[in-house]
Amino acid sequence: MTYQLETVSVLVVEDNKPMLDIAKSLLLTFGVGHVITATNGEMGFEKFCEYNPDLVIADWMMRPMDGISFTRLVRNDPRSPNQYVPIILMTGFSERRRVLQARDAGVTEFLVKPFNARDLYKRLAQVIERPRQFVRSDDFFGPDRRRRRSAEAGDYTGPLRREADLGNADIRQRFIDQRQEAHDTLRTIREKAGLSAGDKFPLSVEDIDFQ
Amino acid sequence: MSDIPHYNQAPRRRAEFIRPPNTLKAKAGSGGLSEEILIKAQALLENNAVDFQPLAELYMTAMQRAIDTARDGLKNGNDEQLISGILYPAMQLKANGGMFHYSLITRFADRMIQFLEVIETLDHDVLDIIDAFHSTMRAIVMGKITGDGGRYGDELIEALNEACMRYFEKSTGAPKPIDYTYLNRNEDVPAEE
Repeated sequence: MTYQLETVSVLVVEDNKPMLDIAKSLLLTFGVGHVITATNGEMGFEKFCEYNPDLVIADWMMRPMDGISFTRLVRNDPRSPNQYVPIILMTGFSERRRVLQARDAGVTEFLVKPFNARDLYKRLAQVIERPRQFVRSDDFFGPDRRRRRSAEAGDYTGPLRREADLGNADIRQRFIDQRQEAHDTLRTIREKAGLSAGDKFPLSVEDIDFQ
Repeated sequence: MSDIPHYNQAPRRRAEFIRPPNTLKAKAGSGGLSEEILIKAQALLENNAVDFQPLAELYMTAMQRAIDTARDGLKNGNDEQLISGILYPAMQLKANGGMFHYSLITRFADRMIQFLEVIETLDHDVLDIIDAFHSTMRAIVMGKITGDGGRYGDELIEALNEACMRYFEKSTGAPKPIDYTYLNRNEDVPAEE
Protein backbone atom coordinates (compact mmCIF):
# COMPACT_ATOMS: atom_id res chain seq x y z
CA MET A 1 0.00 0.00 0.00
CA THR A 2 1.38 3.41 -0.92
CA TYR A 3 0.12 6.98 -0.84
CA GLN A 4 -2.77 7.65 -3.18
CA LEU A 5 -2.23 11.27 -4.17
CA GLU A 6 -4.49 11.53 -7.22
CA THR A 7 -7.16 13.47 -5.30
CA VAL A 8 -4.61 15.74 -3.64
CA SER A 9 -4.13 19.28 -4.98
CA VAL A 10 -0.92 21.25 -4.47
CA LEU A 11 -0.28 24.91 -5.18
CA VAL A 12 3.33 25.72 -6.13
CA VAL A 13 4.34 29.39 -5.97
CA GLU A 14 7.74 30.07 -7.53
CA ASP A 15 8.99 32.96 -9.68
CA ASN A 16 11.70 31.01 -11.45
CA LYS A 17 9.98 29.28 -14.38
CA PRO A 18 12.40 26.32 -14.83
CA MET A 19 12.26 25.69 -11.07
CA LEU A 20 8.48 25.89 -11.11
CA ASP A 21 8.37 23.33 -13.94
CA ILE A 22 10.73 21.00 -12.08
CA ALA A 23 8.70 21.16 -8.86
CA LYS A 24 5.51 20.51 -10.79
CA SER A 25 7.04 17.54 -12.64
CA LEU A 26 8.30 16.02 -9.38
CA LEU A 27 4.87 16.29 -7.77
CA LEU A 28 3.19 14.77 -10.81
CA THR A 29 5.72 11.92 -10.70
CA PHE A 30 4.80 11.41 -7.04
CA GLY A 31 1.24 10.93 -8.28
CA VAL A 32 -0.26 14.26 -7.16
CA GLY A 33 -3.50 14.67 -9.10
CA HIS A 34 -3.69 18.44 -9.44
CA VAL A 35 -0.77 20.86 -9.41
CA ILE A 36 -1.66 24.54 -9.57
CA THR A 37 1.09 27.05 -10.28
CA ALA A 38 1.69 30.74 -9.67
CA THR A 39 4.74 32.94 -10.23
CA ASN A 40 4.56 35.28 -7.24
CA GLY A 41 2.88 35.64 -3.87
CA GLU A 42 0.12 37.90 -5.09
CA MET A 43 -0.93 35.56 -7.87
CA GLY A 44 -0.40 32.65 -5.50
CA PHE A 45 -2.92 34.01 -3.03
CA GLU A 46 -5.47 34.52 -5.81
CA LYS A 47 -5.02 30.92 -6.92
CA PHE A 48 -5.15 29.76 -3.31
CA CYS A 49 -8.52 31.48 -2.81
CA GLU A 50 -9.79 30.09 -6.09
CA TYR A 51 -8.71 26.44 -5.74
CA ASN A 52 -8.30 25.94 -1.98
CA PRO A 53 -5.48 23.37 -2.40
CA ASP A 54 -4.57 20.71 0.19
CA LEU A 55 -0.94 21.82 0.36
CA VAL A 56 1.11 24.86 -0.62
CA ILE A 57 4.77 24.88 -1.63
CA ALA A 58 6.12 28.42 -1.95
CA ASP A 59 9.46 30.00 -2.68
CA TRP A 60 10.72 32.61 -0.24
CA MET A 61 12.38 35.17 -2.50
CA MET A 62 9.89 36.35 -5.06
CA ARG A 63 8.93 39.74 -6.39
CA PRO A 64 6.68 41.65 -5.97
CA MET A 65 5.29 39.58 -3.08
CA ASP A 66 7.58 37.08 -1.35
CA GLY A 67 6.76 33.76 0.30
CA ILE A 68 6.68 35.20 3.82
CA SER A 69 4.07 37.85 2.96
CA PHE A 70 2.13 35.20 1.06
CA THR A 71 2.17 32.93 4.13
CA ARG A 72 0.90 35.75 6.33
CA LEU A 73 -1.98 36.32 3.91
CA VAL A 74 -2.93 32.64 3.92
CA ARG A 75 -2.85 32.50 7.72
CA ASN A 76 -4.51 35.82 8.53
CA ASP A 77 -6.48 37.26 5.62
CA PRO A 78 -10.27 36.93 5.98
CA ARG A 79 -10.48 35.82 2.32
CA SER A 80 -8.29 32.78 3.02
CA PRO A 81 -10.37 29.62 2.46
CA ASN A 82 -8.13 27.50 4.72
CA GLN A 83 -5.92 29.15 7.35
CA TYR A 84 -4.63 25.75 8.41
CA VAL A 85 -3.23 24.60 5.09
CA PRO A 86 0.31 23.19 5.39
CA ILE A 87 2.86 25.52 3.80
CA ILE A 88 6.29 24.26 2.80
CA LEU A 89 8.69 27.12 2.19
CA MET A 90 11.43 26.54 -0.38
CA THR A 91 14.49 28.66 0.20
CA GLY A 92 18.22 28.89 -0.13
CA PHE A 93 18.40 30.55 3.29
CA SER A 94 19.75 28.41 6.08
CA GLU A 95 20.65 31.05 8.66
CA ARG A 96 18.91 30.66 11.99
CA ARG A 97 17.34 34.12 12.05
CA ARG A 98 15.77 33.46 8.65
CA VAL A 99 14.33 30.16 9.84
CA LEU A 100 12.85 31.92 12.88
CA GLN A 101 11.44 34.65 10.67
CA ALA A 102 9.68 32.10 8.46
CA ARG A 103 8.45 30.09 11.42
CA ASP A 104 7.01 33.21 13.03
CA ALA A 105 5.15 34.01 9.79
CA GLY A 106 3.35 30.66 9.98
CA VAL A 107 5.39 28.37 7.73
CA THR A 108 4.89 24.65 8.46
CA GLU A 109 8.06 23.13 7.01
CA PHE A 110 11.28 24.19 5.32
CA LEU A 111 12.75 22.81 2.13
CA VAL A 112 16.27 24.06 1.54
CA LYS A 113 17.23 24.56 -2.09
CA PRO A 114 18.82 22.98 -3.97
CA PHE A 115 16.96 19.81 -3.05
CA ASN A 116 16.56 16.32 -4.44
CA ALA A 117 13.45 14.20 -4.97
CA ARG A 118 13.80 12.50 -1.60
CA ASP A 119 14.06 15.84 0.23
CA LEU A 120 10.77 16.96 -1.30
CA TYR A 121 9.17 13.63 -0.47
CA LYS A 122 10.34 13.86 3.17
CA ARG A 123 8.67 17.24 3.61
CA LEU A 124 5.52 15.97 1.93
CA ALA A 125 5.44 12.92 4.20
CA GLN A 126 6.10 15.14 7.20
CA VAL A 127 3.00 17.29 6.65
CA ILE A 128 0.89 14.20 5.91
CA GLU A 129 2.03 12.08 8.84
CA ARG A 130 2.90 14.67 11.47
CA PRO A 131 0.62 17.66 11.08
CA ARG A 132 1.25 20.50 13.50
CA GLN A 133 -1.38 21.70 15.89
CA PHE A 134 -2.15 25.39 15.51
CA VAL A 135 -1.76 28.14 18.05
CA ARG A 136 -3.78 31.32 18.28
CA SER A 137 -2.56 34.00 20.66
CA ASP A 138 -2.65 37.77 20.77
CA ASP A 139 0.34 38.15 18.49
CA PHE A 140 0.54 34.88 16.57
CA PHE A 141 -1.54 32.50 14.54
CA GLY A 142 0.06 29.53 12.86
CA PRO A 143 1.51 26.06 13.34
CA ASP A 144 2.83 25.37 16.83
CA ARG A 145 6.40 26.63 16.81
CA ARG A 146 7.62 24.14 19.37
CA ARG A 147 9.32 21.05 18.01
CA ARG A 148 8.34 17.71 19.47
CA ARG A 149 12.01 16.76 19.65
CA SER A 150 12.67 19.69 22.00
CA ALA A 151 9.99 18.50 24.36
CA GLU A 152 11.51 15.04 24.44
CA ALA A 153 14.91 16.50 25.24
CA GLY A 154 13.52 18.41 28.22
CA ASP A 155 13.03 22.12 28.72
CA TYR A 156 14.84 24.33 26.27
CA THR A 157 17.57 26.27 28.05
CA GLY A 158 18.78 28.53 25.25
CA PRO A 159 18.00 32.22 25.37
CA LEU A 160 16.29 32.69 22.02
CA ARG A 161 12.77 31.32 21.60
CA ARG A 162 11.17 33.91 19.30
CA GLU A 163 12.49 36.35 16.72
CA ALA A 164 10.96 39.16 18.81
CA ASP A 165 13.14 38.09 21.76
CA LEU A 166 16.08 39.90 20.18
CA GLY A 167 14.33 43.16 21.12
CA ASN A 168 14.87 42.32 24.80
CA ALA A 169 18.30 43.58 25.91
CA ASP A 170 18.83 40.82 28.52
CA ILE A 171 17.89 38.01 26.14
CA ARG A 172 19.97 39.54 23.39
CA GLN A 173 22.99 39.68 25.70
CA ARG A 174 22.50 36.03 26.73
CA PHE A 175 22.27 35.13 23.05
CA ILE A 176 25.52 36.98 22.32
CA ASP A 177 27.21 35.32 25.33
CA GLN A 178 26.07 31.89 24.22
CA ARG A 179 27.33 32.52 20.71
CA GLN A 180 30.68 33.66 22.07
CA GLU A 181 30.88 30.54 24.21
CA ALA A 182 30.16 28.41 21.15
CA HIS A 183 32.85 30.27 19.26
CA ASP A 184 35.37 29.67 22.04
CA THR A 185 34.51 25.97 22.03
CA LEU A 186 34.97 25.87 18.29
CA ARG A 187 38.35 27.57 18.57
CA THR A 188 39.43 25.07 21.23
CA ILE A 189 38.42 22.21 18.95
CA ARG A 190 40.33 23.77 16.05
CA GLU A 191 43.43 24.23 18.16
CA LYS A 192 43.32 20.65 19.43
CA ALA A 193 42.88 19.37 15.90
CA GLY A 194 45.64 21.61 14.53
CA LEU A 195 43.27 23.35 12.11
CA SER A 196 43.17 26.98 11.09
CA ALA A 197 40.12 29.22 10.85
CA GLY A 198 37.75 28.16 8.08
CA ASP A 199 39.02 24.56 7.84
CA LYS A 200 36.36 21.90 7.79
CA PHE A 201 36.74 19.24 10.43
CA PRO A 202 35.05 15.88 10.02
CA LEU A 203 34.46 15.29 13.73
CA SER A 204 31.43 13.99 15.53
CA VAL A 205 30.47 15.02 19.06
CA GLU A 206 31.81 11.72 20.41
CA ASP A 207 35.27 12.56 19.04
CA ILE A 208 35.59 15.72 21.06
CA ASP A 209 37.11 15.93 24.50
CA PHE A 210 35.54 19.00 26.07
CA GLN A 211 37.60 18.78 29.28
CA MET B 1 -19.20 36.75 52.66
CA SER B 2 -16.95 39.51 51.56
CA ASP B 3 -18.11 42.47 49.52
CA ILE B 4 -15.30 41.90 47.06
CA PRO B 5 -16.84 41.00 43.67
CA HIS B 6 -16.42 37.51 42.26
CA TYR B 7 -13.82 37.06 39.53
CA ASN B 8 -16.61 36.17 37.16
CA GLN B 9 -15.01 36.42 33.76
CA ALA B 10 -13.74 34.30 30.92
CA PRO B 11 -10.60 32.28 31.68
CA ARG B 12 -7.46 34.05 30.58
CA ARG B 13 -5.57 31.51 28.54
CA ARG B 14 -2.24 32.52 27.09
CA ALA B 15 -2.96 30.75 23.82
CA GLU B 16 -5.59 28.64 22.17
CA PHE B 17 -4.47 25.32 20.69
CA ILE B 18 -6.30 24.01 17.66
CA ARG B 19 -5.95 20.62 16.02
CA PRO B 20 -7.36 21.03 12.51
CA PRO B 21 -8.66 17.96 10.63
CA ASN B 22 -5.92 16.23 8.65
CA THR B 23 -7.59 16.27 5.24
CA LEU B 24 -4.30 15.61 3.51
CA LYS B 25 -3.84 12.35 5.39
CA ALA B 26 -7.45 11.36 4.73
CA LYS B 27 -6.86 11.77 0.99
CA ALA B 28 -3.33 10.37 0.77
CA GLY B 29 -3.81 7.30 2.95
CA SER B 30 -0.69 5.63 4.27
CA GLY B 31 2.37 3.73 3.17
CA GLY B 32 4.53 6.51 1.74
CA LEU B 33 5.89 6.43 -1.80
CA SER B 34 7.61 3.45 -3.36
CA GLU B 35 11.36 3.45 -3.95
CA GLU B 36 10.63 3.04 -7.65
CA ILE B 37 8.75 6.35 -7.78
CA LEU B 38 11.50 8.14 -5.86
CA ILE B 39 14.16 6.82 -8.23
CA LYS B 40 12.07 7.90 -11.20
CA ALA B 41 11.60 11.38 -9.72
CA GLN B 42 15.31 11.72 -8.98
CA ALA B 43 16.16 10.67 -12.53
CA LEU B 44 13.79 13.32 -13.82
CA LEU B 45 15.60 15.89 -11.74
CA GLU B 46 19.07 14.78 -12.81
CA ASN B 47 18.21 14.52 -16.49
CA ASN B 48 16.47 17.85 -16.85
CA ALA B 49 17.78 19.64 -19.92
CA VAL B 50 17.20 23.20 -18.73
CA ASP B 51 19.97 25.51 -19.91
CA PHE B 52 20.71 27.48 -16.75
CA GLN B 53 23.38 29.67 -18.31
CA PRO B 54 21.14 32.41 -19.83
CA LEU B 55 19.21 32.68 -16.59
CA ALA B 56 22.42 32.75 -14.55
CA GLU B 57 23.76 35.54 -16.76
CA LEU B 58 20.67 37.60 -15.97
CA TYR B 59 21.25 37.10 -12.25
CA MET B 60 24.95 37.95 -12.62
CA THR B 61 24.03 41.18 -14.42
CA ALA B 62 21.48 42.03 -11.72
CA MET B 63 24.12 41.36 -9.08
CA GLN B 64 26.64 43.61 -10.84
CA ARG B 65 24.05 46.40 -10.93
CA ALA B 66 23.33 45.92 -7.23
CA ILE B 67 27.07 46.03 -6.41
CA ASP B 68 27.47 49.24 -8.44
CA THR B 69 24.47 50.77 -6.67
CA ALA B 70 25.96 49.76 -3.32
CA ARG B 71 29.30 51.41 -4.18
CA ASP B 72 27.52 54.61 -5.17
CA GLY B 73 25.43 54.58 -2.00
CA LEU B 74 28.19 53.67 0.46
CA LYS B 75 28.13 56.94 2.33
CA ASN B 76 24.46 57.76 2.50
CA GLY B 77 22.63 54.63 1.39
CA ASN B 78 20.55 52.27 3.49
CA ASP B 79 22.90 49.32 4.06
CA GLU B 80 20.10 46.81 4.61
CA GLN B 81 18.43 47.77 1.36
CA LEU B 82 21.72 47.75 -0.57
CA ILE B 83 22.63 44.33 0.81
CA SER B 84 19.23 42.90 -0.06
CA GLY B 85 19.73 44.10 -3.65
CA ILE B 86 22.81 41.88 -3.86
CA LEU B 87 21.23 39.09 -1.84
CA TYR B 88 18.32 38.48 -4.21
CA PRO B 89 20.36 37.40 -7.28
CA ALA B 90 22.81 35.56 -5.00
CA MET B 91 19.94 33.57 -3.54
CA GLN B 92 18.57 32.76 -6.99
CA LEU B 93 22.00 31.50 -8.04
CA LYS B 94 22.41 29.41 -4.92
CA ALA B 95 18.93 27.91 -5.05
CA ASN B 96 18.78 27.20 -8.75
CA GLY B 97 22.39 26.47 -9.69
CA GLY B 98 22.41 23.09 -8.00
CA MET B 99 19.01 22.20 -9.42
CA PHE B 100 20.31 22.67 -12.96
CA HIS B 101 23.76 21.04 -12.80
CA TYR B 102 25.73 24.11 -11.69
CA SER B 103 26.54 22.92 -8.20
CA LEU B 104 29.77 24.96 -8.05
CA ILE B 105 27.68 28.10 -8.48
CA THR B 106 25.53 26.97 -5.56
CA ARG B 107 28.64 26.50 -3.39
CA PHE B 108 29.97 29.98 -4.19
CA ALA B 109 26.60 31.67 -3.83
CA ASP B 110 26.07 29.87 -0.52
CA ARG B 111 29.34 31.23 0.90
CA MET B 112 28.51 34.66 -0.46
CA ILE B 113 25.08 34.64 1.20
CA GLN B 114 26.57 33.52 4.50
CA PHE B 115 28.93 36.47 4.23
CA LEU B 116 26.15 38.92 3.32
CA GLU B 117 24.01 37.66 6.18
CA VAL B 118 26.57 38.39 8.89
CA ILE B 119 28.22 41.64 7.83
CA GLU B 120 26.97 44.59 9.82
CA THR B 121 27.82 47.46 7.49
CA LEU B 122 28.86 47.89 3.89
CA ASP B 123 32.29 49.29 3.17
CA HIS B 124 34.90 49.04 0.41
CA ASP B 125 36.47 45.91 1.94
CA VAL B 126 33.12 44.15 1.94
CA LEU B 127 32.37 45.20 -1.62
CA ASP B 128 35.79 44.03 -2.77
CA ILE B 129 35.05 40.57 -1.39
CA ILE B 130 31.60 40.60 -2.99
CA ASP B 131 33.22 41.66 -6.26
CA ALA B 132 35.60 38.70 -6.02
CA PHE B 133 32.65 36.33 -5.54
CA HIS B 134 30.85 37.92 -8.45
CA SER B 135 33.85 37.70 -10.81
CA THR B 136 34.48 34.06 -9.92
CA MET B 137 30.85 33.06 -10.39
CA ARG B 138 30.68 34.98 -13.64
CA ALA B 139 33.71 33.07 -14.92
CA ILE B 140 32.01 29.79 -14.00
CA VAL B 141 28.80 30.76 -15.76
CA MET B 142 30.55 32.07 -18.89
CA GLY B 143 32.77 28.99 -18.96
CA LYS B 144 29.71 26.75 -18.54
CA ILE B 145 31.49 24.90 -15.76
CA THR B 146 28.93 22.40 -14.53
CA GLY B 147 29.41 20.02 -11.61
CA ASP B 148 31.29 20.80 -8.42
CA GLY B 149 34.50 22.00 -10.08
CA GLY B 150 36.63 19.28 -8.46
CA ARG B 151 39.91 20.23 -6.80
CA TYR B 152 40.04 23.55 -8.66
CA GLY B 153 36.59 24.41 -7.32
CA ASP B 154 37.71 23.55 -3.78
CA GLU B 155 40.76 25.79 -4.09
CA LEU B 156 38.72 28.73 -5.35
CA ILE B 157 36.20 28.32 -2.55
CA GLU B 158 39.00 28.11 -0.02
CA ALA B 159 40.63 31.29 -1.34
CA LEU B 160 37.41 33.28 -1.07
CA ASN B 161 36.62 31.74 2.28
CA GLU B 162 39.98 32.89 3.59
CA ALA B 163 39.24 36.42 2.34
CA CYS B 164 35.98 36.39 4.30
CA MET B 165 37.67 35.05 7.42
CA ARG B 166 40.37 37.72 7.21
CA TYR B 167 37.62 40.33 6.98
CA PHE B 168 35.83 38.92 10.05
CA GLU B 169 39.01 38.73 12.05
CA LYS B 170 39.85 42.30 11.12
CA SER B 171 36.37 43.70 11.80
CA THR B 172 35.03 41.67 14.71
CA GLY B 173 37.92 39.64 15.99
CA ALA B 174 36.21 36.32 15.45
CA PRO B 175 34.17 34.35 12.96
CA LYS B 176 30.73 33.26 14.13
CA PRO B 177 29.96 29.57 14.46
CA ILE B 178 26.91 28.26 12.64
CA ASP B 179 24.55 25.65 14.05
CA TYR B 180 22.54 23.89 11.38
CA THR B 181 20.66 21.50 13.66
CA TYR B 182 17.61 23.75 13.93
CA LEU B 183 16.82 23.49 10.22
CA ASN B 184 14.70 20.46 9.48
CA ARG B 185 13.10 17.75 11.49
CA ASN B 186 14.83 14.48 10.83
CA GLU B 187 12.12 12.17 11.98
CA ASP B 188 11.55 9.00 10.02
CA VAL B 189 9.33 9.15 6.99
CA PRO B 190 6.91 6.29 6.41
CA ALA B 191 8.24 3.35 4.51
CA GLU B 192 6.19 1.47 2.00
CA GLU B 193 3.97 -1.07 3.68
